[in-house]
Amino acid sequence: METRSFADYLRALDDEALLNLFALRPDLVSPVPPEISSLGIRASSAPSLARAVDSLNKWQFQILEACASLTEPFAEKSIIALTDTSAKFVIPRLVDLALIYGDSHGYWLPNSLREVLGNEVAGLGPSSMAKLSMSKLDEAPESSKKVLERLTWGPPRGSVGDIRNPGPGIAWLLKENFLIPLDQRTVVLPREVALHLRGGKVHKNPQPNPPLVKGTAGKETTVNRAAIANVATVLRWSEEILNFWSEEAPSSLRAGGVGVRDLKAAAEHLGVDENCAAFIAELVFLAGLVVIDADDRILPTHSFDLWLTQDHETRWRTLASLWLITSRVSGLVGRADSKHISALGPELDRVNAASARKLALQILAENPYLSPEHDSFLAVTKWRAPSRRSSTLQRELVQWTLREAEWLGITGQGGLSRYGAAFLHEEDVLGIAEDLPKPVDHILLQSDNTAIAPGPLEIEVARVLDSIADIESRGGATVYRFSEATIRRGLDHGKTGEEIKEFLRKTSKTPMPQPLEYLIADVAKRHGRLRVGNTTAYIRCEDPSILTQILSDRKVEGLGLRRIAPEVLVCDHEANELITTLREAGYMPAAESGSGILLSGLKLNRAKSRPRPPRIIGEIETPTQETLLAAVRAIRTGERSSHKQTSLRDVAAKALGSVPRTTANETLEILNTFIKEQRTLSIGYADNNGSATHRIIDPLSISAGSLLARDHATGKVQSFRIPRITGVSPL
Amino acid sequence: MTDGPLIVQSDKTLLLDIDHVLSTECRRAIAPFAELERSPEHIHTYRLTSLGLWNARAAGHDAEMVIDTLLKYSRYAVPHSILVDVAEIMSRYGRLRLEADPIHGLVLITTDTAVLEEVIRAKKIAPLLGIRIDAETIAVHPSQRGHIKQSLLRLGWPAEDFAGYVDGQHHEIDLVQNGWKIRPYQELAAEGFWHGGSGVVVLPCGAGKTIVGAAAMAHAKATTLILVTNTIAARQWREELLQRTTLNEDEIGEYSGAKKEIRPVTIATYQVMTKKKNGTYAHLDLFDTHDWGLIIYDEVHLLPAPIFRFTADIQSRRRLGLTATLVREDGLEGEVFSLIGPKRFDVPWKEIEAQGYIAPAECIEVRVTLTEAERLLYATAEPENRYRQCATTKTKRAIVELLTKHHKDDQVLVIGQYIDQLDELSEVLGVPLIKGDTPVNERERLFNLFRAGEVKCLVVSKVANFSIDLPDATVAIQVSGAFGSRQEEAQRLGRILRPKSDGRTARFYSVVSRDTIDQDFAQNRQRFLAEQGYSYKIIDADDVSQGKL
Repeated sequence: METRSFADYLRALDDEALLNLFALRPDLVSPVPPEISSLGIRASSAPSLARAVDSLNKWQFQILEACASLTEPFAEKSIIALTDTSAKFVIPRLVDLALIYGDSHGYWLPNSLREVLGNEVAGLGPSSMAKLSMSKLDEAPESSKKVLERLTWGPPRGSVGDIRNPGPGIAWLLKENFLIPLDQRTVVLPREVALHLRGGKVHKNPQPNPPLVKGTAGKETTVNRAAIANVATVLRWSEEILNFWSEEAPSSLRAGGVGVRDLKAAAEHLGVDENCAAFIAELVFLAGLVVIDADDRILPTHSFDLWLTQDHETRWRTLASLWLITSRVSGLVGRADSKHISALGPELDRVNAASARKLALQILAENPYLSPEHDSFLAVTKWRAPSRRSSTLQRELVQWTLREAEWLGITGQGGLSRYGAAFLHEEDVLGIAEDLPKPVDHILLQSDNTAIAPGPLEIEVARVLDSIADIESRGGATVYRFSEATIRRGLDHGKTGEEIKEFLRKTSKTPMPQPLEYLIADVAKRHGRLRVGNTTAYIRCEDPSILTQILSDRKVEGLGLRRIAPEVLVCDHEANELITTLREAGYMPAAESGSGILLSGLKLNRAKSRPRPPRIIGEIETPTQETLLAAVRAIRTGERSSHKQTSLRDVAAKALGSVPRTTANETLEILNTFIKEQRTLSIGYADNNGSATHRIIDPLSISAGSLLARDHATGKVQSFRIPRITGVSPL
Repeated sequence: MTDGPLIVQSDKTLLLDIDHVLSTECRRAIAPFAELERSPEHIHTYRLTSLGLWNARAAGHDAEMVIDTLLKYSRYAVPHSILVDVAEIMSRYGRLRLEADPIHGLVLITTDTAVLEEVIRAKKIAPLLGIRIDAETIAVHPSQRGHIKQSLLRLGWPAEDFAGYVDGQHHEIDLVQNGWKIRPYQELAAEGFWHGGSGVVVLPCGAGKTIVGAAAMAHAKATTLILVTNTIAARQWREELLQRTTLNEDEIGEYSGAKKEIRPVTIATYQVMTKKKNGTYAHLDLFDTHDWGLIIYDEVHLLPAPIFRFTADIQSRRRLGLTATLVREDGLEGEVFSLIGPKRFDVPWKEIEAQGYIAPAECIEVRVTLTEAERLLYATAEPENRYRQCATTKTKRAIVELLTKHHKDDQVLVIGQYIDQLDELSEVLGVPLIKGDTPVNERERLFNLFRAGEVKCLVVSKVANFSIDLPDATVAIQVSGAFGSRQEEAQRLGRILRPKSDGRTARFYSVVSRDTIDQDFAQNRQRFLAEQGYSYKIIDADDVSQGKL
């Protein structure tokens, strides 16, 4: 029977179909294959097929299972018979995905697809070789019927004590070929029997329609209000965790990441649980706002300072957009079974995290303002993505996504908010900026030495207040408390008592209580004995007259020297420069080490390193139309040139009569075709010394870079390493 | 976003903007479940605590109402976690119930067996329990009612107490409102207490806590045991009760060091209750001599430890705690709540002042500058003597003299901690001194003279901190105190808060040595009052001497 290979099928596709295929399976064009045969190989390789299968929903998957339970080639009619008439709407989709392909004989499956789907698709065993008469099944003795009942819906294998001495029920089935012995202890129910018993259908519960998301519908305003509170909170958390780490930078673990104790401290500081703290830590890490620097300290970066200057919406978008696509799963941190996994650590990447997150958000987006019930939400995700790899984590990933979406404010009280919807639709304006409480520029001073900012403070005001007061309560408003220690801190940061008073007077809407004024004055009085300022270099000399001389010396006028005490001059030039200039002017200065100089100014601890946000190992993004068009063009060109090469080479080969030569891609393609058709072919095979020999073989299968085949010369099954195959030609 | 008066913080504090039009309405709405923490001039701070939420549940409010209230008055969106927490905490209440059982006496019943299984396995609970009756019920030793409630509270599974209170022996008591009327807040407080069963009423000094006690007695109409701090307070309670209620002299007994009378209404002192004889508390039997229907603890913030323990054993009787300042420097506020009962009534001092029931007061900190010699002495003093050193400097004496001279027409109290300092002051000012070893009769004589206006100025030691009734004191001058005790400061201010006949503003002077530890302590002492909205004014001693007051 003449069949077309998968590559031939692809070759015959028009540009539009190829484009569609690439759009559905973007991994096929990254990188762009040189020509169609290598495209065919990639498209029929197990990893790529697995990806494509992952993108199926439950119903599509069930149909594909039904296809796989048929012998190729198969007709649409038979698929429908095994499933449901609605299968006909699904088949084109499977064809588009190149998970099945058709020719004049019917539909075929790409080579490795059965491998991807597993041995016993839909719990069906292998086909029977013997002739079966199903009518006989009705006559089966009771004990046999029981056995059949157990095996009908899979798994189709059953173990028997000893095949030579089975029970009467099994013996009858074996005799009638309704069971096939596999080995000493195992029997299997052949596919035909199972399908007959299943009433001619593959699945017990065909699920052509997705389950509904159940839950409580929230009021639009409530959801949005809750969400905006979450947005405000997550921004505050992010800022606070970084300020917290800026004050006292934790050291990273040897394996990388934040230690349990540091995470706990951060959680306590923020007033959240550790899961949430891990989430926030990861969030700012992704955005590059924090880095593990060369000394293994975990420190905010300069990006944090930049981030702070942005408006709230931009800040939020920065955080949320990276969370959306990251492969890192903060939910893994601190679980009982994964103690070694830490936030900011190297072990948080999970392949399907981004897609699971995307899926969950998609379902949320389809049900705006609905707060889903966990079980029903999970059922929907299961239907949408039934065959995800590492499905053990799937449940948690979905739950974590919902939890994190709430923390981020994509949802409010469980339902997708206006901002979340706008964000997922990639709109330019999310509306966060308008709906967040407007920053206030004033505080209320009270006589119990507290100040209350009745809303989010403008950053400059907040910075100053942070330096002169302790925060006692956080939230929509902030409560600050002044004490001797905090005022001293403010003075330490280079402010004078008068400046603090002036600032408070200017910022406060209420009059300054006298006790506070006295407190500031008292501390400042004691503090004021020390004068602090910025300077780059100083000159000190025990003889004030020399300093007076220098001050009036024209040669050093350019230095801009200033006298701050009878025995000290300062200037804003570098010490080296100062020394040079003084020497040139005829003085004999000696350098002094800079230790002991009290530099003022807010001390912001920042890493020296540049931000190094973690790499994102996500799903391959859907490429743009242009990229896809370019890919198609490239492949077509490659195809034409390889045709030329092949024909040239054929001419040469005929002339020489030597061992077959084909390109690697052609080799694989031909091998795949011949495996399928079970035909004998000749190959050129390089031995250990590099000389090629001519072998005649029956190819059996390809796996792990080797071809398993029966060598006609030896009669044995042998494995041939594919890179050593110089060429293939049919006999 | 609404423009409500309330800001709900993520640390479960509620900030109430009292300048907002809805603030009064909002305060009433949140009072049942939130505890007032501070009430300075502009923004009052309330806190959502598990205890407060459970009390609200006990009083018949549900989580939905709490959440609705928060959402209604909140200025900004309420953090989701708070709402979840409120619902979560409130749902814990009532899963366990204490009930009276005809056969087993007292039983713990649950609607959720998992909870019961959890609590009976707790180390603190197990010894308090009796036999297991069935899956949902377990017997409790009746004497452990207080203990078990306390321990369950700590475990986070508060038990709803249906076992009720012993009525006690009936005794007719009524208020006699002739020439005076019970004030609205006093009535509210008494009612709040009565409906709650047991608990603490917090009212400012001078706001008439005795009347609340009397009103509670009128509710109970049963034999009552009143515990007070000292004999003088006991006599004052007696006077007050005679005047305000139907009780006559024969019905009220005094149980103190001097007398041991047990009558339907007995007033005992903490001192006598805690007196040990041969290593045992000899007078604790008093609790058992009568079938008391009500026990009143005056100045509950001073409740001594043995009485704590005893209270745990008399949980079936109604208990009322009275105080102005539930700040215990030993941090045992929680203990008071769990033994006597939760806070049933609290109101900002300034609000009662606004209603005219307590006198407006001006708090003034007078700073004196030490002389060089005193500074040197202070600087070289041993750390443990430092406070005494700077609190009792001679410089203060001159200022006190000036101040008393300035207020020569007012009733003035000079209050201090150190007896030698007070002795000196008494001598210099030429006024009588009342201290711990002044006999009770002499004390009463002096107080009466002071009350009559014949004595204008008294120097008193810390004996005067509590429960003395000096109706016409308008000025208090504090020269030293028990370190940074906030509670003492508030009590001392309380001495002058009784409303004046001419509506005059009372003055509270605190004389403080500048640049010493005295000043630091003063700041701590002022904290409670500052949180109640009393704004201290600081003046310099020189201003006083120049007559700038």
